[in-house]
Amino acid sequence: MSTLTHNTVDRLDRPSAYYISKNKRRKFQDELESQEEAPDPLANATTLYVGNLSFYTTEEQIHELFSKCGEVKRLVMGLDRFNKTPCGFCFVEYYTHQDALDCLKYVGGTKLDERIIRTDLDPGFEEGRQYGRGKSGGQVRDEYREEFDPGRGGYGRAYADDQRRREEEEYGKGK
Amino acid sequence: MADYERRHNGPPRGGGRKRRYRDDDDFDRRQQRRRYEEPLSGRVRRLLFTIAESVVRRVEDDVAYIAKTVAENYEDEELRNTYIDATIDLAVEQPLKIPFVAATVLVANSHRSELVAEVLQKASSTLQNFINVGAWREVKLLVRFFGCLQFIFEGDGIFPLLEELFARAVDQQTASSEDLLGLELVKIILFTIPYVMASPATGFGGHANALLEKTDIIASTPHALVDLVKPFPKEDEEPVATPSIISLLQTQLQAESSRNWELVCLPRPWNIPPEGEEEQKPLEPGTRHAFPQITVPNPVPNGARAIFPEVYLSVYANQEVETVPPLSDITSSLLRDSLVDTINLLDFNRNATAKMLIDVDCYFTPHTFVKRATPFDRLRELPQDRPTWKPEDVAVDAVFSQLFQLPTPEHKLVYYHSVLTECCKVGPAAIAPSLGRAIRFLYRGLEVIDLDLTHRFLDWFSHHLSNFGFTWKWSEWVDDLDLPIVHPKMSFINGAIDKEIRLSFAQRIRGTLPDPYQDLITEGKEKDIPDFKYSVDTTPYANEGRELMQLIRKKAGDEEIQPIIASIEEQAKEHGVEEPMLPSTDAFVTSICFVGAKSLSHVLSCIERNKERLLAIGPQSSRARNQIVTSVMEYWADQPGIAINIIDKLLNYTILTPLSVIEWALVENLAAGNILARTEIYEMVAATIGKVTNRLRQIVAARVQPGLYEPQLSVIDDTLHREKADMQALFKVTEDSLVSIANGSNDEQMERGDGSGGLPEDGILRQWGHRWLRVFRRKAAVEEAFIAEAMAGATPVGTVAPPQPVQPAASAGAPVQDANDGDLDVADADAAGQ
Repeated sequence: MSTLTHNTVDRLDRPSAYYISKNKRRKFQDELESQEEAPDPLANATTLYVGNLSFYTTEEQIHELFSKCGEVKRLVMGLDRFNKTPCGFCFVEYYTHQDALDCLKYVGGTKLDERIIRTDLDPGFEEGRQYGRGKSGGQVRDEYREEFDPGRGGYGRAYADDQRRREEEEYGKGK
Repeated sequence: MADYERRHNGPPRGGGRKRRYRDDDDFDRRQQRRRYEEPLSGRVRRLLFTIAESVVRRVEDDVAYIAKTVAENYEDEELRNTYIDATIDLAVEQPLKIPFVAATVLVANSHRSELVAEVLQKASSTLQNFINVGAWREVKLLVRFFGCLQFIFEGDGIFPLLEELFARAVDQQTASSEDLLGLELVKIILFTIPYVMASPATGFGGHANALLEKTDIIASTPHALVDLVKPFPKEDEEPVATPSIISLLQTQLQAESSRNWELVCLPRPWNIPPEGEEEQKPLEPGTRHAFPQITVPNPVPNGARAIFPEVYLSVYANQEVETVPPLSDITSSLLRDSLVDTINLLDFNRNATAKMLIDVDCYFTPHTFVKRATPFDRLRELPQDRPTWKPEDVAVDAVFSQLFQLPTPEHKLVYYHSVLTECCKVGPAAIAPSLGRAIRFLYRGLEVIDLDLTHRFLDWFSHHLSNFGFTWKWSEWVDDLDLPIVHPKMSFINGAIDKEIRLSFAQRIRGTLPDPYQDLITEGKEKDIPDFKYSVDTTPYANEGRELMQLIRKKAGDEEIQPIIASIEEQAKEHGVEEPMLPSTDAFVTSICFVGAKSLSHVLSCIERNKERLLAIGPQSSRARNQIVTSVMEYWADQPGIAINIIDKLLNYTILTPLSVIEWALVENLAAGNILARTEIYEMVAATIGKVTNRLRQIVAARVQPGLYEPQLSVIDDTLHREKADMQALFKVTEDSLVSIANGSNDEQMERGDGSGGLPEDGILRQWGHRWLRVFRRKAAVEEAFIAEAMAGATPVGTVAPPQPVQPAASAGAPVQDANDGDLDVADADAAGQ
C-alpha cells in the first residue's frame, strides 16, 4: 500500500462524480443558509451503492462476490416501488470503512452475473431508499433507455410505452 | 423543467446570455475559448509521471529534456518543487521508474548541482522518516534511488549506509535466531547493489564484493520459518524449485560479480545514443555531493506489517521453452522485485497496475523480452542466442507470486484477481494464453501444492471465469473425471463448478460445460428452492414438520410453535429416540431454511424472529448444536455455498459456537477423511477459524493500546486469556482430528475394507489429512507469533495511571486514534457475546 498523501496516479476509492456533483448542489444551498463546513458524510462510510445489476441477480450472487472484500453486514436489494421486485441496484454494508474502500477498488467495474457493475460510496442506507424513483417504479435510468437490455426489463418503460403508442397511431393512420 | 429552475438559483452564467436551445451552443463555442498554455511545471510533472511509458518516444530524450528544463529554470520555484516532489513520490510509488527518474537527476547535476542538492535533501529526510517507522519497502526503494545516483556522490557514496544496515542486520541476527528483520535489511542491501553497479559510477566492484562476502552467511542460511511459507510442502515433490528470495539473489549477485556486473536488463537511460557519426559524449558528473546523513536507529524498528520469509515461485518454470528468466539469471529477481512492489503499492488503482504490467518491457533494456503477444509456439522458431522471455508471462507470474504468497499476501486476494482481470481486458489475446499455461501448471500441481493455495487457485479461477463469460477449455480435463471423487483434481473440478454456479446459476454453467461434465450438475442444483423433506409423508414427523413450517411462515409466536415441538419430542420418546430434541430441532431448523429459502434476507429475518428458541437449543447439548449444522447442510446439500453462508450467520448470532462447527465437520462427519476433499467444508472451517482469530486480534489490539491502565487493563487481559484459550482449544480439536486421518489411525478409516489401510483411496485420504494439518498448524503458529510479538510491548497488568495525566503529545495522535478503535471493538464483541 502506498503511503503518499497525493498519489502519482488516480485513486479508485473516491466518491463518484455523481455523488460529488449531487453533494455540491446540496452544499451550495446549505452554504446560503450557514457558512459552516459540514463533516464529510463519507469519511467513515461502510455502505456502497451498487448499480447496473441485472433484475435477475440474486442476493446470494451479490453476497458471493462482495464478501471477497470483507464480511457483509447487511444487503438491501433495490426494489420496484410498485411490484416489490428487484430493479437493478442494491446497498451493501460492510463492518469497516476499509472493506468498503477495498470494494470500490477491487470489485467496482468488474462483472457480476456477466454485467459490469458500478459501486459508489454511500453515506448509509435509510428506509425508503431501497425503492426505485422512476415514474413507473423502477430506477429512473430504466424509464427512457432506448437500448434493449434483457437483464433490465428490455427497453426503457417510458420509451417502450411511447413506442407502442406511436405504433398504434401509425397503424390507425394506415387503416 | 427542474433543470431550468435550478439554473436561476445557481451562480450567474458567463455573460448573462440566456441559453435557449442546445443547438445554439453547438457551433463556434470552442473556438472562442482562450488558448490555454500549460505551465511548465505541469508539463514537466506530466512528462515525469509518464516517463518511459511510451513505446514510440525515446526515454533518453525525455530524461534529457526534463533535466535541462528544470535546471535551466531553476529560479521557477513551482517547477523546482514539482520536480523534487514528483521525483521522490515516483520512487516510492512506481518503482519501475526509479532508474529513469534517477537518470533525470544525474543529468540535471551536470547542469545545475544546487537543484540536485535540494532533491537529495528532500529524499534523505523522506528516507529518514521511513527508517524511523520501519517502512522497509519504502526504505528499499529510496535507498535504490540513492544507489542509482552513486555517480554524483563523493567518496564511497552509498556504501557506508549499506554497511551500517548490514551491521544492524548482524545485531538482529545475533540477538535471535528467529529474527526476520535482519533478513529484511539484507534484502535491502542486496537489491541495492545491482542498481549501484549498473549506474554510471565505476570502481565500486571491490566494495560490492566485500559486502556480498559478508551478507552470504545471513542470506544463505535457511530461516527456520521458510518451510512454513513453501508453496510445495514436500521438497521431493516440488514441481519447481522455490528458493528463498534472498538466498537466490545472493547467488545471482555472486555470479553477476564474476561476469563483471553486466546486469543486462537494467536500463541506462542517461546516455543519449549518438546520432550519425557523432561520438557518444560521456555523462559529466557535475559537482559531487556528500552522501546525506542518515541515521539507522539501534535496534532498528519493526514496521506495521509482519515480516515472513519470502520464496521465489514461478508458475512458468520448467517449460520446454523458457518464457520467463530462469533462476540462474539475476534478471528473474530484478524483474520480480520491482513488479511485485509495483503491484502492492498501486492497489488503489488496478487499472494503473495492469497498465504498468502490460508495459513491463518499457522499463527494462530493449530486447530483454520478445515482442508483446508473441505466441508460445512461435518462441521455438526464434534464434538460439536471443532471450525467449514473454513480457506477459513475466507480468502474470509476478501477480501469481503474490496471490500465492504464504501465509498471506499484502492485500486482499480479490485485488490480485482484479489485476489479472484488468490485464486480460487490456490485452486479451496476449494475456489469456499466459493465464491458460499458468492454470495448467497449477492444475497439474493440485496434489502437491499447499492446500490453502489450492483454495486461492479455486477462488481465483472461478472468479476470473465469471468475468469472461465462463469460458474455459474443460475438454482437456475430461479424462480426470474417471478419478475417484476424493482425488484432488476431482475435488477441484467439483469445487470450481460449484463456485461458478454461486456467482451465476446452474443452468448457465451447465451450458458452458462439455457433455462429460453434465452429470456433475445434479438436478437439485437447478432448483431455486430445495424440496421440503416433510412434504413427503414417509418422512418421520411429516405432519408436524409441515405444521411447524406453516407456523413459521405466518410468523407465529413461540407459544404456537412450542406444542408442535413438544409433540415431535413425545413421539420420538415413544420410538425410543435417545435425544428427542434432535428430531424436533431438525424439523424446526429445516422449516426455517425452507421458509427462508427465497433469499438470504428471508432466511435472516426468519432466524431473527425465532432467535430465542434457536439460542436455547445450543446450550442443551453438543449433539443439539451438531443437529443445527446438519439440518442446514442437508437442506442446502445441493447448494453448499448457501449452507455455509447460513452457518456463518448463525455463528454471528451465537446460535452456533465456532467449536460446534469445527466438531461437526472434523469429528462428527469426518467420514474417514472423505469430508476433507469437499472444498466448501474447507471454506467453512477456514472461515470459522478466521472469525475466531480476527476477534482475538482485535482484543490484542485493545490490550496493547498505549495509555490503558487498571482496572480496564485486567478486564481486557482476562478476556484475552479466556479467548486465547478458546482459540487454542479450537486448534487442538482440529489438530487431533486431522492427525488421525494423516496417520491412518482414524477408527472409521481402519474399519473400512479389510482394515489394512490399503484401499486405493486410503492413500489419498491420508494426504488430505497431511495437507489440512499443514494449513491449520501454520494458522495456529502465525496467530501465536502475532500475539507474542504484540504482547512484547504491552503495558504489564497492574499498571495504574500516572498521577498526573500526561499531556497528549502531537506525535501520539495516531496511536490514540487506534486505541479508541480497539476499545470499541471489544465493547462490540462483548455485547455480541452476551
